[in-house]
Amino acid sequence: MKTISVTKAASKGIVMGKAFLVVQQNLEADKKLIRDSEKDIEVKKFEKAVKDTVSDLQVLAKDNDIFAAHMDVASDPDLHDSVVSKINDELKNAQLSLEEYIVATVEMFENLDDEYLRERAADMKDVGKRIMCHLKGIRSNPFEGINEETIVIAEDLAPSDTANMDFKFVRGFITEGGGVTSHVAIMARNREIPAIVGVAGFRGEVTNNDYIILDALGAKIIINPDEKTKQEYLKKAEEYKEMKAKLESMNGLPATTVDGRTVELFANIGNIPDAENAVAKGAEGVGLFRSEFLYMENTKFPTEEEQFTVYKAAVETLKKPVIIRTLDIGGDKELSYYKFDVEENPFLGWRAIRISLDLKDVFKTQLRALLRASAYGDIRIMYPMIISVEEFLAANEVLEECKQELRRDSVPFNNSIQTGVMIETPASVMCSDDLAKEVDFFSIGTNDLTQYLLAVDRGNQKIAKMYNSFHPAVLRAINKVIESGHKYGKIVGMCGEFASDEKALPVLLGMGLDEFSMTATEIASTRYNVRNLSYRECQKLASEVCIKGTISEVMELINNFIDKSK
Amino acid sequence: MVSKKVTLTNKTGLHARPASNLVAFVKKFQSTVTIINGEKKANAASIINVLTLGAKQGTELEIVADGADEAVAVEEIAKYIADLKE
Repeated sequence: MKTISVTKAASKGIVMGKAFLVVQQNLEADKKLIRDSEKDIEVKKFEKAVKDTVSDLQVLAKDNDIFAAHMDVASDPDLHDSVVSKINDELKNAQLSLEEYIVATVEMFENLDDEYLRERAADMKDVGKRIMCHLKGIRSNPFEGINEETIVIAEDLAPSDTANMDFKFVRGFITEGGGVTSHVAIMARNREIPAIVGVAGFRGEVTNNDYIILDALGAKIIINPDEKTKQEYLKKAEEYKEMKAKLESMNGLPATTVDGRTVELFANIGNIPDAENAVAKGAEGVGLFRSEFLYMENTKFPTEEEQFTVYKAAVETLKKPVIIRTLDIGGDKELSYYKFDVEENPFLGWRAIRISLDLKDVFKTQLRALLRASAYGDIRIMYPMIISVEEFLAANEVLEECKQELRRDSVPFNNSIQTGVMIETPASVMCSDDLAKEVDFFSIGTNDLTQYLLAVDRGNQKIAKMYNSFHPAVLRAINKVIESGHKYGKIVGMCGEFASDEKALPVLLGMGLDEFSMTATEIASTRYNVRNLSYRECQKLASEVCIKGTISEVMELINNFIDKSK
Repeated sequence: MVSKKVTLTNKTGLHARPASNLVAFVKKFQSTVTIINGEKKANAASIINVLTLGAKQGTELEIVADGADEAVAVEEIAKYIADLKE
């Protein structure tokens, strides 16, 4: 038995299962030119890979029609003849020939503006990957072979990885990379899968099939526990489940303090399944719809129609306010189909609203989609990374242009659609008074705000300890923004991870934050906590906290407050 | 080698299910069958090729067959295309 204490529980819960170490794949072709004498060998390799792919697909096709279609593609004569002629005539090896053919065909399909053919492009890519895996002798699904309760252990996980996992068996994630705000963390919380991230060197500690207890409540990982420990944790897991059910039973009640202050509990979402989950978890709206997922999971800039469909579905699912953040890429978020220049400081570089204002066509496509969807519900637009009043006004000017176009074409939209600013730069905090005069709402993004205020890269493991939103600078910034907003009668929300932090809650409540937006699974416990707090007491706490100069003094005040109110 | 012209009358064109069905139908014949849409040529046994023809309702296609059963193939395939419903 071995116990490892960790710092970052990205998604709460206690689970256990067999360790499964993910082997990272490199599916890029090993590009080689061949000699005349090697042609036959390469052709044979390719034909064998196709044959193996078809037989894999035959098995899969029993449960799912899509794989029958993939079989047709894999055994297509054009695919065969084109690749073979590249090998024979251009003397390229099988991997390179296959890659070139797939890339060219996918591009051809994608360029025909046709939904059906775009899906076929995805099929082509998928089949290409399968054949490539056989050519390279690697597994086509890195999660293949999971058939009992399992803890997936990886260097890092991407959103697309979840598509390949069998959630009947996957109980939890442990990754070496990533922070609590990384994609894997967000994905785990949305799926309610306990996860611990940022455990450097963990893969060296375990081997496949070790028995793992993942305790994301106590921030512990136990490898090969003894029977007594195992029983203890089974009991803990059961208790946690019961408590969660109890909390969720409060879903219909407002988040009102004992002395009558009501705040709004919103959800952060990235797609329609998240929106459905938000409704199920009692969200009173969406405080942050990360529209960048629409762009990142695509193979080209999503069309107005595609975006409109998603935004409309989101607001129709919620039937409540949905704040949609316009494209927030750059920094650590890239697009496979758009080449970003390498920058020395990407987080201080060309990102978010800066990109939107430069790529006006891309921005207008999104704004038009948002406006059109606003005819179907309360959609609000939020601009990310704003540093000045000018930027906000410039963005709204483009919005006005879109409105005029839609009006001219008699397309319905909400003319008084609200627009707000995501407060995440020190500049926007310092100018919050000026911004408050112009905007309809503020939403404080604590993840980036903390990083920029403290000049601490949130992805850098070496300085991860310094990344702390309880730093007096961050708390005072939040307080200032709330004051500025309220001075002009504007709603102030928060959509960073801090909004669901149990210890931050009394302070934020006391500062007067109006709306708390978080991962849907955190709503129930936050509601429970709000309903047990006194607004007046919280106000007192907040004013004391704001004059403390060190994190330790701040934490002492908060810890005492929480102990007292328990 | 035998060829014949035929006009697509179905709504979908040579697309989606009609395209896959055609490819399956063509495989019954021994001849090599080519479908020509203006500048574009497709191996009729290849779904990838057929889809990239982008043949819509109203398009005139030329069917060319080369092989032992070429005459029958051209007739039957032309009829199959003319009779597409979906």
